[in-house]
Amino acid sequence: MTAATDQDHTEHPERPEHPERPEHPERPEHPERPERSDHDAEGSPRGDVSPWDDGLIARRVNGSTGEEQYRVTEPRASTPQKVTPLTYGPQLGSRLDALRELVGQSRARLDNRTLAQAGRVLDEAAARRGLSGQHTVVALAGATGSGKSQLFNALAGVPISETGVRRPTTAAPIACSWSDGAASLIERLGIPPRLRRRPLQATADADERLRGLVLVDLPDHDSAAVQHREQVDRVLGLVDAVIWVVDPEKYADAMLHERYLRPMAAHAEVMFVVLNQIDRLPGDAAEQVLDDLRRLLDEDGIVLGEYGEPGTAVLALSALTGDGVGELREALGRFVAERGAPARRISADVDIAAARLRPVYATRRRTGLSEEAREEFSDRLADAVGATAAGEAAERAWLRNANRACGTPWLRLWRWCQERGEPSTGRVALRGQTDEEVTARQRVEQAVRTVADRASAGLPVPWAQAVREAAVRGSQGLPEALDELAVRAGLPPGRPPRPGWWPVAVFAQVSMTALQFVGGLWLLGQIIGVMAPNLGVPVLLMVIGIVGGPLIEWSCRMAARGPARRYGLEAERRLREAAAGCGRARVLDPVAAELLRYREVREQYGRVVGVGTGGS
Amino acid sequence: MVTLDVRPQLLDALSALRDRVAAARFPLPLAGAARARANRDELLAQLDDYLVPRLRDPEAPLLAVVGGSTGAGKSTLVNSLVGRRVSEAGVLRPTTRTPVLVCHPEDHHWFSGMRVLPDLTRVWVPHHQDPADDLLLPGEDPARVLRVETADTLPPGLALLDAPDIDSLVSDNRVLAAELINAADIWIMVTTAARYADAVPWHMLRTAKEYDVSLVTVLDRVPHQVVSEVSRQYGALLTKAGLGHVPRFTVPELPESAWGGGLLPATAVAALRTWLVHQTLDPAARQHVMARTAYGVLDSLNARLPELAGAAAAQYAAALRLTAAIESAYDNEHSRVRGRLQAGAVLAGDALKRWRAFPLDCTPGELLDTLVESLSALLLCAVAAADERVDDAWRREPAADAPELAARAAAPESAEHRIGLAVRRWRRELEEYAEDEVRELDRGPAPDPEMVAALVATVLLGGRRARTAGEGLAERIGAHGALRLRDRGGRLLVEHVDRVMHAERERRLAPLDALEVHAEPQPELIAALSVLQKER
Repeated sequence: MTAATDQDHTEHPERPEHPERPEHPERPEHPERPERSDHDAEGSPRGDVSPWDDGLIARRVNGSTGEEQYRVTEPRASTPQKVTPLTYGPQLGSRLDALRELVGQSRARLDNRTLAQAGRVLDEAAARRGLSGQHTVVALAGATGSGKSQLFNALAGVPISETGVRRPTTAAPIACSWSDGAASLIERLGIPPRLRRRPLQATADADERLRGLVLVDLPDHDSAAVQHREQVDRVLGLVDAVIWVVDPEKYADAMLHERYLRPMAAHAEVMFVVLNQIDRLPGDAAEQVLDDLRRLLDEDGIVLGEYGEPGTAVLALSALTGDGVGELREALGRFVAERGAPARRISADVDIAAARLRPVYATRRRTGLSEEAREEFSDRLADAVGATAAGEAAERAWLRNANRACGTPWLRLWRWCQERGEPSTGRVALRGQTDEEVTARQRVEQAVRTVADRASAGLPVPWAQAVREAAVRGSQGLPEALDELAVRAGLPPGRPPRPGWWPVAVFAQVSMTALQFVGGLWLLGQIIGVMAPNLGVPVLLMVIGIVGGPLIEWSCRMAARGPARRYGLEAERRLREAAAGCGRARVLDPVAAELLRYREVREQYGRVVGVGTGGS
Repeated sequence: MVTLDVRPQLLDALSALRDRVAAARFPLPLAGAARARANRDELLAQLDDYLVPRLRDPEAPLLAVVGGSTGAGKSTLVNSLVGRRVSEAGVLRPTTRTPVLVCHPEDHHWFSGMRVLPDLTRVWVPHHQDPADDLLLPGEDPARVLRVETADTLPPGLALLDAPDIDSLVSDNRVLAAELINAADIWIMVTTAARYADAVPWHMLRTAKEYDVSLVTVLDRVPHQVVSEVSRQYGALLTKAGLGHVPRFTVPELPESAWGGGLLPATAVAALRTWLVHQTLDPAARQHVMARTAYGVLDSLNARLPELAGAAAAQYAAALRLTAAIESAYDNEHSRVRGRLQAGAVLAGDALKRWRAFPLDCTPGELLDTLVESLSALLLCAVAAADERVDDAWRREPAADAPELAARAAAPESAEHRIGLAVRRWRRELEEYAEDEVRELDRGPAPDPEMVAALVATVLLGGRRARTAGEGLAERIGAHGALRLRDRGGRLLVEHVDRVMHAERERRLAPLDALEVHAEPQPELIAALSVLQKER
């Protein structure tokens, strides 16, 4: 197929030559009229000679003897011909554009092998678009001995293609064009000029309806000669439509159905299936076989064009006796006159390419990064920098300081003494140590892995890989950045905020202590005798001071809880937000960008499939 | 001339070989695995259906299997040879869905039992019934049934088997056809004037040549005007393929052959029939035909078994590569975990913040909690990273696409669960150690065991960063006790981490181990073959 494409490229510079080529549209002196008209077996009088020995078989054999001498090569054109290039409808055009863009967008993500078929379809579509839109190239394909060449001759009206009992008979494709201007089309198929033919003049004139038909007789696809199969595969990729010729003996061959019909099920609209040699079947067997053939085609997934619906037409005929050939001719005439076959074929090619690409684009699941996944990622990063612990520590420290500030002096004194006796741990000594690797590396790594997994869940493999790579790329240097950030955003700057009641509380505490002192001094004065003895007031003052001090301390502690909590939460929030922002910039945004790219590509794929929105 | 008689040693060697072949498995989807599986099944079928029964009972009737493409007229040919409609024939393809075996009534016992084709259920059809009727029991798989018919017209000592199409659209039929043909003493290859150049029958002819079996070809449905030409060309093709010596019979196309129900006139198949009867009745010819196929198949083992052994070796190599990928990934991660533990990576993030606040603003319980959590995060991260590396490595291995390997039961949550369990167990044991240590202490006020546990955990997990924790620990329980506790706790930690990593690695290896791809099949197959060769 690539060879054909190459040929096609080399052919383009030559195209301007074509008009100069002399060509006779009328073909006044057609070379060699057939001298034996009974060659084409249509209406042969021998059809009713009864027994088996010279009936259907004899005729079949005779039909094969007159070969070779009939060579109708395509004449050179005399008048400059105008080739009307093919135009695709707006829908197919936009699908092809979408496919081209899709291939372009995906180059970086998918390997060439995956995209090869789509690229080939685009190449072929472009190549076909440059060629005549007035012509429809129809290939006759089938197994050895199913009578492709015979049908070819019957349609052309002349024995162009060699038929015979020798298997396999036809070794190279032969083309026959019903009208002019198809030279470049046939060139594209790689058929050399010596194998290009014209139909019998009379038949062609009578068959004005077949104007625009280019019929190609293919070699068999199932013989032991492998190069035949290669030829068939190559040409089948280039023609606009195919007539599958099957016979009662071989119509259920696994090779035909599994290798050709099933993969080409999408091309149902540009296929005909013809059951040839019905003259070999007695009675109503032809109907039975035809029904069975229909059943098999249905099992292959081919839409049958019954009741005028688009799809594959299934016909029974005998190329030998001419039974049913007229119907085929009529169907072909309608088909060719529509001129829609090339576009439909390309459209089916696009369908197949799109179906082949489905696993790398479409997904059944909702994709994207959910809000929960983002939240979870932020939480994990906050854990990694220790936001919760830092917040709690800040809260407790603040509370501790508040207690200390509002506590009774006696308590503070006691605590101080106790602290001196305690063995020092952690905190104090750590102060001096440099902060390295504050962030838990493993938690960052795990957070990135989890978020990448969440984001790529349900994505086709190449895109999931791309998302994962984006996440990993973004996570490089993330722990270091978080380290730095933990130092910077660790605690709210400046002194911790103090509530308005603080001075009042401190003053009250001081005054309580003062009351104790005053009461104490008063009592002392009385004891020494400096003061008038009055036991009630100073004891009361002292009691107020002694009870009030802890009371105020206790109520301060209760009142300080709220501000402490706020302070701790503030510390936690700062760290958390800083970490989340860092993670968003480095990991979530690249991942989201990658997801967006995938979504764009999927929409593009949707356009290729023809759904429009791309939801699947 | 080779003769065929019962030789127990040969039979023993052959059944040993059969067991080896049956034991060979190719579960990994390598490039040649499907082919190897098919070869194994074919070989097994041939040993069971043909070679062993034939060497055991050389006097059993000859079995001639009629094989060919769809529509070649196999059933018509069998019917005509028998002279009665035993196998349904028709224009619709595929016609023969149930294989039919026809033999002389005296030979019926040879085939009604399970001597040959033990996989196929026998169906007995009374004469008066129309064979076209569907006689299968409802539950029966139509493909695995053999209909046994008897006919007086066949000579005793000959059985004909009408096989399904070798290129049938129904793939089960194709497999069955190949199996049946492999069970034959005489392969009758039917092709037609329209088909003699088809690729599919030629595959079969080449197989026949490879096994050097007794082969006959029938060129069926030849229009009589072209008999000589077609026959000549077919002959030329056969000669070119090295099969020129194969007996060729030509059957003309008759209206009867087109409308399948009918029988061809006896004259049309007389030559083939005479040949078959001669092979059956002439003892020398019979010996020759039988020995040729039997020894041909025996000889073909020389090429087929090494191929199977090679495929088995490839399976083993692939399994080794998959295992190596898992082991190296987990080993890598394991050493990384050890390195990070030493570097004190666990004492980071939350744990580090707690430790900074300890003991003023943080209780020992909280510190222990965060340390445990941080340790499980480290282990989980290592396991997840190892899994990722394995997945990466496996993506490049075609063998990793085996469905058993793709469907991984172990969800990450459960790994988290398992690791959490293990780490919590470590914490409990560490706390017990700390309690022991504190109890042994005879100094005045005993320190809080939880505090000791938190400190020792910090020392173990914090690396250099937790130097002060070590000092604190020594102050509390004495330098000696601290050292001892650190040693015991450290050993405990290493043990638990090793156990977790090992368990996760084993979990990952389990599906691969379950496939049971071993090194043994290859040498065993070759050994069985060499024993067989010695017995010949």
